[in-house]
Amino acid sequence: MNIETLLKSIDLIASDFLFLDSQDMNIPTAGKFLNSLEGLTGEAAELGIVPVLDVAKGMNVILECVILDSLADKGKAISTFERGIALLQEIADEYKKTGGYTKEYESYLNQAGAVTGRAIEAQAAAPGAETPSADPPQEEKKPDAEASGQQFLIQDESLLRDFISEGTEYIEEIEVNILNLENNPEDKDYINAIFRPFHSIKGVASFLNLEKIRGLSHNLESLLDKARNGELSVTPQLIDVVLAGADALKGMISSLKEALEGRNDNPLDVDLSDLETRIRNVDKGIEPERSVQKLGEILIEEGAISEEALEEGLKIKASNPDKKIGEALIQKGTVTPKQVSQALRKQAEQASELSTIRVDTRKLDDLIDMVGELVITQTMVQQDISNQENGNKNLTRNIAQLFRIASGLQKVSTSLRMIPIKQTFQRMARLARDVSKNVGKNVVVEMEGEDTELDRNMVDEIYNPLVHMIRNSVDHGLETSEERLQCGKPEKGLIQLKAYHRGGNFVVEISDDGRGLNRDKLLKKALANHVVNNVEGLTDQEIYRLIFLPGFSTAEKVTDVSGRGVGMDVVRQAVEKLRGKIEIESTPGKGTTFIARFPLTMAIIDGMIVKVGKERFILPTTAIRQALRPTREAYNHIMGQGETVNVMGQLMPLVRVYDLFNIEPEKVNPWDAILIVVEGATSSKCLLVDQIIGKAEVVIKSLGDGLKDIDGISGGAIMGDGQIGLIIDPEGLFELSER
Amino acid sequence: MDKNIKILIVDDFTTMRKVIRNLLKSVGYENIIEAEDGAIALRTLKNNEVDFIISDWNMPNMSGLELLKAVRADSELSKTPFLMVTAEALQDNVIAAVKAGVSNYIVKPFTAEVLNTKIEKILETL
Repeated sequence: MNIETLLKSIDLIASDFLFLDSQDMNIPTAGKFLNSLEGLTGEAAELGIVPVLDVAKGMNVILECVILDSLADKGKAISTFERGIALLQEIADEYKKTGGYTKEYESYLNQAGAVTGRAIEAQAAAPGAETPSADPPQEEKKPDAEASGQQFLIQDESLLRDFISEGTEYIEEIEVNILNLENNPEDKDYINAIFRPFHSIKGVASFLNLEKIRGLSHNLESLLDKARNGELSVTPQLIDVVLAGADALKGMISSLKEALEGRNDNPLDVDLSDLETRIRNVDKGIEPERSVQKLGEILIEEGAISEEALEEGLKIKASNPDKKIGEALIQKGTVTPKQVSQALRKQAEQASELSTIRVDTRKLDDLIDMVGELVITQTMVQQDISNQENGNKNLTRNIAQLFRIASGLQKVSTSLRMIPIKQTFQRMARLARDVSKNVGKNVVVEMEGEDTELDRNMVDEIYNPLVHMIRNSVDHGLETSEERLQCGKPEKGLIQLKAYHRGGNFVVEISDDGRGLNRDKLLKKALANHVVNNVEGLTDQEIYRLIFLPGFSTAEKVTDVSGRGVGMDVVRQAVEKLRGKIEIESTPGKGTTFIARFPLTMAIIDGMIVKVGKERFILPTTAIRQALRPTREAYNHIMGQGETVNVMGQLMPLVRVYDLFNIEPEKVNPWDAILIVVEGATSSKCLLVDQIIGKAEVVIKSLGDGLKDIDGISGGAIMGDGQIGLIIDPEGLFELSER
Repeated sequence: MDKNIKILIVDDFTTMRKVIRNLLKSVGYENIIEAEDGAIALRTLKNNEVDFIISDWNMPNMSGLELLKAVRADSELSKTPFLMVTAEALQDNVIAAVKAGVSNYIVKPFTAEVLNTKIEKILETL
């Protein structure tokens, strides 16, 4: 690199300027000069000629202002630009002769600054210094003054219709991508995929003069732009507010549709101020704040006092500053002390909502684990004491108190990990809409009981089976719009999600109002696929349950949505892995309901304790169908095929648990012992045990890494007497028995 | 001014293309074709003698700036007038487009008159 090249570059700019038509510099010319200056700056930086860099910087700013059309006096600016070229030539010539430039050139920056209205500072001689952009990006350029008086209003109904349908599609796209973003908050592609539709909606809305839609999408867009640039992080609040914004936009767009159909005289008559505040708060990184109601407000709300009475009370309070409003009202006899104390408690509850902290779930898990052990240990202590004769009465009483506290502690600590199913339901609702769109169906999703709580870990675990059920309902359960109309049903299919607690279980119901299960088709399929061999005498319930059997799938073609070669048997297995149960109800022509029951937590198992020899085992109650002592006649031993027991007309293989675990049993003959019918994923078998001890809830403990892969055993539990009981894994035990 | 030039509108939002088409028609331009993203626009440009490109800045797959660069890099298309439509006159975006050789830019929303003036100004300099 030498000074000659630089001189040539400057000369090139000079001659370009010479050939410039009149003084009117247009955008392409300005762009050309910008690029030439950029090249020239690079050369000057390599040579370390600071004056050239500074002057070029001033010229750059002039060009930028030409492009952005922000010059008060364009002619003057362009002649300043021209002087810049001359100055560049002079500086470079001087460098060539003397290797330096001693004359004053800084005033050029002031001139350029004056003509553009921007402050331009001389830069340090950093090589390769970038062309600076002086101003922060302008927020939003208002339409030009001359244009603002004119109407952008385009009263074209067909355009509005297009906007309504395309805009709705775009918002649905946003909803899907937000879910993706929620799972990958770092992924800029997802932010972009949400940003763009808002941007497009804003653009068209500005032409159609839909100011509310334009404004809201603009605010959401800027929020996402900040997230994209890393100025804001993708927090749940941000996602919530974007979702709420998308909903509001959708609402406004559908109100436009209603207006077109003559069903709404005041479209866009919505109050967005709350939403705008939320957007601003997220924008500024402010956490939402819940306000605490004043005591008086609570009392009015509860109907304890009238507003007039409150005002009187407030007057008393005003004259006696020490007095509290509650006191004043009680003294006046307007309210009873009880009402005030209730209101105070309510106020305290509201206040406590304000103070939440985030805790690592691992810490919570540890806590719950240890509380579990505490409960067990104290049970052990209690047993020890009751075994002692002439027990100390005081001690017994104190231990009983300890027991109460410990179980209270257990309840509280378990509740810490409970969260409402709401979010999962919302994700599923959006998924249902998404899936229905893919298969060309129309659905409405209704939710019920979304505040029902469930262990956090379970919430994650049940998501996949539920997703599969939803896909199945939309894809196979619901008919297409045409079919529905033919049957006299509403065009839109209905998917209902319900959650509730029942019998210590968390129950989820997924219903559709579709065609229902086809009994004959199921039977034909079951026979064809050899899922069953004899279908006579099966009840409807039993026939419906066939779809949970492996190798069963009635979908005629493999669809993209649910027919991935896995059927409902996978769902059943997943549910059972979580120690849950799944049931099905169906009415032909009316619809199908899947009912899945899950335990509230995975940490505790409801089990039956059985004794084999000196060992005790815990069988999950969910796997037990019945327990019996067979007659001598019911037992069969077929050589080479093993032992069977006839349980109510059904022949079931007999599994001698003591054989599998090498235990010395007390009883060997099935008619002396107890048989427990246990259901696995594919079959049922009878386990031979000595005795049933009882039922218990036990805290599941892992056996540690060294023992974790023992067939037939899924874990251990500390029993009431401090001894260990092993928890049987029915599926593994079946496999073990077949070897 | 030649109102019969062939104008290509590039925007992913169908309604937006229709808006621009209507505005163009209202000031007498009738010879209009459309493309819904940059990649399709490039193919359309290869198969049609396009006299003028009006493209949105923000598009999936290929942005308006990328399309502009691709057009300017193509020896056959490099002289085609290119008007960039932006939602805001963000300085960085505009300067980047100008450096890449954009003919002019226009900020949404705009009237048919403003659009017409921009087009005529660009055509004058050809």
